Amino acid sequence: MNYFCESLWAIFIKDIVTEFRSKQVLPTMIVLGMLIVWVMRIVSESASAGNAVMGAAALWISLLFSGLLTQERSFAVEEHADCMSGLLLAPVEPETIYIAKLLVNIIMLCVFEIVVVPVVFLAFAVSVDGRWVEFITVLLLGNIGISSVGTLFSAVVGLARTRGSLLSIIVLVILMPMMIPATFALLQLFNAIPTEISGIGTLAFVGSFDAAMGYMVAFDAVFVVACWLLFGFIIKE
Amino acid sequence: MNERVQNNNDDESVITITSVSKAFGSRVVLDNVDLGVYKTQGICICGVNGAGKSTLLRIIAGLLRPAKGSVRLCGFDVSVEPEKAKPHLGLISHKSMLYPELTISENLRFFARLYGVRNAHDRIQKLIEDVGLSPYRYDKACVLSRGMLQRLAIARAIVHNPTVLLADEPFTGLDTQASQHLINVLDKFQADGGTLVMTTHNTRLALECCDRVVVLDKGNFIFDAKTSQIDTGPFIEDYCAYARSRN
Repeated sequence: MNYFCESLWAIFIKDIVTEFRSKQVLPTMIVLGMLIVWVMRIVSESASAGNAVMGAAALWISLLFSGLLTQERSFAVEEHADCMSGLLLAPVEPETIYIAKLLVNIIMLCVFEIVVVPVVFLAFAVSVDGRWVEFITVLLLGNIGISSVGTLFSAVVGLARTRGSLLSIIVLVILMPMMIPATFALLQLFNAIPTEISGIGTLAFVGSFDAAMGYMVAFDAVFVVACWLLFGFIIKE
Repeated sequence: MNERVQNNNDDESVITITSVSKAFGSRVVLDNVDLGVYKTQGICICGVNGAGKSTLLRIIAGLLRPAKGSVRLCGFDVSVEPEKAKPHLGLISHKSMLYPELTISENLRFFARLYGVRNAHDRIQKLIEDVGLSPYRYDKACVLSRGMLQRLAIARAIVHNPTVLLADEPFTGLDTQASQHLINVLDKFQADGGTLVMTTHNTRLALECCDRVVVLDKGNFIFDAKTSQIDTGPFIEDYCAYARSRN
């Protein structure tokens, strides 16, 4: 356990230091996020949808696409000078590498959110009526879901010597089941839809805020564990 | 882990390669290869490009799986018990395996942590001095010259004091001075009880650094002799003639 913690911490700190020194991903993420928010803000001026709807859409779209940037970098940094072989030569479990990379990606998205969320609130004049705990929980659950899938497939794409487009396609498709309750939860927090929705349609399938949270927790639990287990298999093969 | 890790075998063979075969698609790279490397031995694997030298080293390191056969390192099968075999092994490859944004000290500290090295600070200071990089310890790896980077790569490979050091063409791109420095470091590693397995095209350096030379050709060993039994001049001439015939 002690060795697990030490090697996890070593990889985590190494990745954070490398990123903050190279400044390759975070500035790009923030610029992309701002661009998406800005474009959506312009669209909202002529769209029939309200500001709250457009704000929720802008937040998730920017989070998804900026997340892809940091996830792609996760294992690209290990390809330079064959550093991945250096990691694999050490007696560290592949699962430890996955958890460390996952934590780095979650932290990167949290930093991104700290910058972009206030911009979304200002640009779309949305509010959560004091439901900050729920709002932060929704963002964190979305963050974990996006990062867990993205980290695994970043390794797959890196080992397959292919690049970004494949990662985007795979990750976005797999994240679809989580994005439905995630969007529902954010729309509710922004007061864009009623507390409960019944009938036919994607949002009605989710039904309520509590159900949306339940779906997101289940998605995160399943995919963090599945990706953690699959990662060792993929690396060894 | 600073002390050299205890072997798990009774005899003095630290590497035992048994009937190892490997193919990439239809191209057979290693064909039923057998080799035993003994403790403190310095063995050089020579061969032309594509002979299978790097593939063999990567199989010994556990980075590639053989299609057939097994590799035992200090008594542990590298495919079956990799977690027990890995602490005994260091690898210098064509690439440095170093992080350009980290300093010399930080790179070594990172790998020392991965190997669970005790007294890592003292060990790193000593290694930096041994490889002659003391004045540059706070420089990032990305600003180092090829020779300095190679010396740092050696320090990285032996930071956990492995029993076996695999060096895949370590002299590539080094000038005479840097090569001599590298030879000194490798000599010190062997003098401290380490076993060296090296690949190179440079037969003169092979004879200088190692006490045994084997030649790999089309996936098979075609020559195996102690350097003390080799007449340097004729051997180099014969090898050069052989290499020309293969290219």
